[in-house]
Amino acid sequence: MRNDNMVAMILAGGRGSRLLDLTKKVAKPAVYFGGKYRIIDFPLSNCSNSGVSIVGVLTQYESVLLNSYVARDHHWGLDAKDSGVFVLPPREKDETGFGLYRGTADAITQNLDFLDQMEADYVLVLSGDHIYKMDYAKMLSAHKAANAECTIAVLAVPIKEASRFGIMNTDENDLIVEFEEKPAKPKSNLASMGIYIFNYRTLRKYLTADEKDSNSNHDFGKDVIPAFLRDGKRCLAYRFKGYWKDVGTIDSLWEANMDLLNPENELDLSDPQWKIYTEDAMIYPQYIGEEAVVENAYITQGVLVEGTVRNSVLFTSVQVKKDAQVIDSVIMPGAVIGEGAKVTRCIVADNVKIEPGAVVGNKDSEHIELIANKKVKKEA
Amino acid sequence: MCEALGIVNFEDTAVDIAGMTDYRTISAVSFLGRYRLIDFVLSNMSNSGIQQIQIYIKDKPRSIIEHLGVGSQYNINPKRGRMHILYGEQAVRSEIYNHDIASFMANMHFIEEVNCPYVIIAPSYMVYRCDYNEMLKQHIESGNDITLLYKATDEAKEQFIDCDVVTVDKDKRIIAFEKNRGKYKNRNISLECYIMSKKLFMELVKRAANTSALYWLKDILADCCMEYKIGGIAIKGYVGCINNIKAYFRESMFLGKLENAGALFKNDWPIYTKTSDSSPTQYAPGAKVSGCSVANGCYIEGAIENCVLGRNVVVKKGAVVKNCILLQGSYIGENAKLDHVVVDKEAIIHHVKKLVGTTDAPIYVKRRDRI
Repeated sequence: MRNDNMVAMILAGGRGSRLLDLTKKVAKPAVYFGGKYRIIDFPLSNCSNSGVSIVGVLTQYESVLLNSYVARDHHWGLDAKDSGVFVLPPREKDETGFGLYRGTADAITQNLDFLDQMEADYVLVLSGDHIYKMDYAKMLSAHKAANAECTIAVLAVPIKEASRFGIMNTDENDLIVEFEEKPAKPKSNLASMGIYIFNYRTLRKYLTADEKDSNSNHDFGKDVIPAFLRDGKRCLAYRFKGYWKDVGTIDSLWEANMDLLNPENELDLSDPQWKIYTEDAMIYPQYIGEEAVVENAYITQGVLVEGTVRNSVLFTSVQVKKDAQVIDSVIMPGAVIGEGAKVTRCIVADNVKIEPGAVVGNKDSEHIELIANKKVKKEA
Repeated sequence: MCEALGIVNFEDTAVDIAGMTDYRTISAVSFLGRYRLIDFVLSNMSNSGIQQIQIYIKDKPRSIIEHLGVGSQYNINPKRGRMHILYGEQAVRSEIYNHDIASFMANMHFIEEVNCPYVIIAPSYMVYRCDYNEMLKQHIESGNDITLLYKATDEAKEQFIDCDVVTVDKDKRIIAFEKNRGKYKNRNISLECYIMSKKLFMELVKRAANTSALYWLKDILADCCMEYKIGGIAIKGYVGCINNIKAYFRESMFLGKLENAGALFKNDWPIYTKTSDSSPTQYAPGAKVSGCSVANGCYIEGAIENCVLGRNVVVKKGAVVKNCILLQGSYIGENAKLDHVVVDKEAIIHHVKKLVGTTDAPIYVKRRDRI
């Protein structure tokens, strides 16, 4: 299999500033999701399940936690002999000094030596902040069958939303004829998911040229893909069906968590054939007290519930004390909802203490409230 | 670091959890949803800084080997430390010869080669929290030949049946062994946890083998308890003895309650186990849950009350499950009513709509049975 070596490169450097205080100290890929996961568990587990065994993770913004998190490659089964997760933050270089990653393409360009060393034949470029399940091996088969130089995963979106995305216009064989970034009048509804497979030799050539181009933004969508198309390189649109979410805002992060309450949800985290792996919390099971009410809830281990929980997602080691109410909310790891406190339509950040009797959130609010102060007191 | 070799011993034939141990060793019996019994003794050893561990297995090794793997989940350094699974390789002539001494004799070489001056021996069916390194320090300071851990209980009529009872004199010395037949309330129960030098341990094993072909380690200790200085240390906190189905049921029910969980679980003393990468548990609209301990991956539509649920358990609509232990992957169909039942792994209850056992005699549904 050595001549078929696909190396994944996960772009995990972005802050995701619309997630407000949730990304104050961690990059967006490290944000918690779904009771026990972090967002980056999805691309990492997808790699592991697809047989992609070498994964580079390109980090930049607030990378300390993310670097140490992904370095524990055994969590995703990526610690076998020829496997590994390799953390690749920006570095000091001999001739150019220290250079931040200037764009998605530049992040890869600055690590061409890594890809050379890993003897990549194909490069799979992924985003570290999307929630979805996908078999990259199938995508590679399609890429090879189409004899393509580049394959881009696309998702059919409602046409009225298409102007929010990078849109692929394709021919009858799904070969891409045109790429339009956020078109005012979209001609197609196939949106780029930011997942690319490249033949490494070709990519290497284009990235080397891109690096020297002072007019370039060093971005895959803006520069590299258009250059491929300009030169008539075969670019395939690979159609993906299923759950895919880019949780950019507090509202959309809340929604994605709430999606899990529907047992028919498309993401289906309980599928034994495609598990999502994560850090393994060594903590006791969840305990539901005698007076507790738990209904329509998604709850993980280490949670203690003595109060009421409805339509909510509770993460590792959350405590809901007596007579407390958690309604339509997402409570992140280690948060404590004190006795008699009320939490409605909120995301409560990790390790926040809601003091006894405090009331946060509102059932009629237009937006979801993020509670990130370490302590929330009862109002006098 | 702890200067002792940890030995997880197997239990004698008095310990039998009816039904469940047909498929697995006691140590591999599922407990409190996400654990196996052996996790508690191994976590004690690991948290105490023991990095050399030998686990002795009597028979039915598949389940326990699968669970233990290479042991990195127990925080054992895979290069410097070692988790060694051992068993008496020679076929035994009869079950009565399949005892710990035979196993130790067969593996004497591996005991000898470990570079630790002390051994700490403990079985997996006694569940408690204990810093063995602290016990080792006390042992060394005491100057005793052997240190034995015991629990002073006033519930010996109900619990710890057939366990060893020790007589402790006023100097905390163990001067006699007998069996707990459930006649008296107050007894000092041996946890079968012994601390001694490795040299003395090897001597005792050889001496037991020479004395009788049927001797267990506990027999030779009873024989020579006046010859050696055996000191006793009383364990203060919770001790659960899981030696039969009634005890299994009782201790599960006790620890399955939120208010009792602290008896065993403490944040600075993690209990390690193998992850199954289950997703969180889903409680559907209309679910009723009260007084339960639940592992991940379950799907609950019905009502559960005073139950302990393993991973990936399904309780369908209209089902009412009270005082039950539902093991990993079991399935309770619509409108089934269960009370005082232990449902083993992957069993399916769909045709039978009512099963009622008692605290003394919980009903046991076999692994993968469909009823």
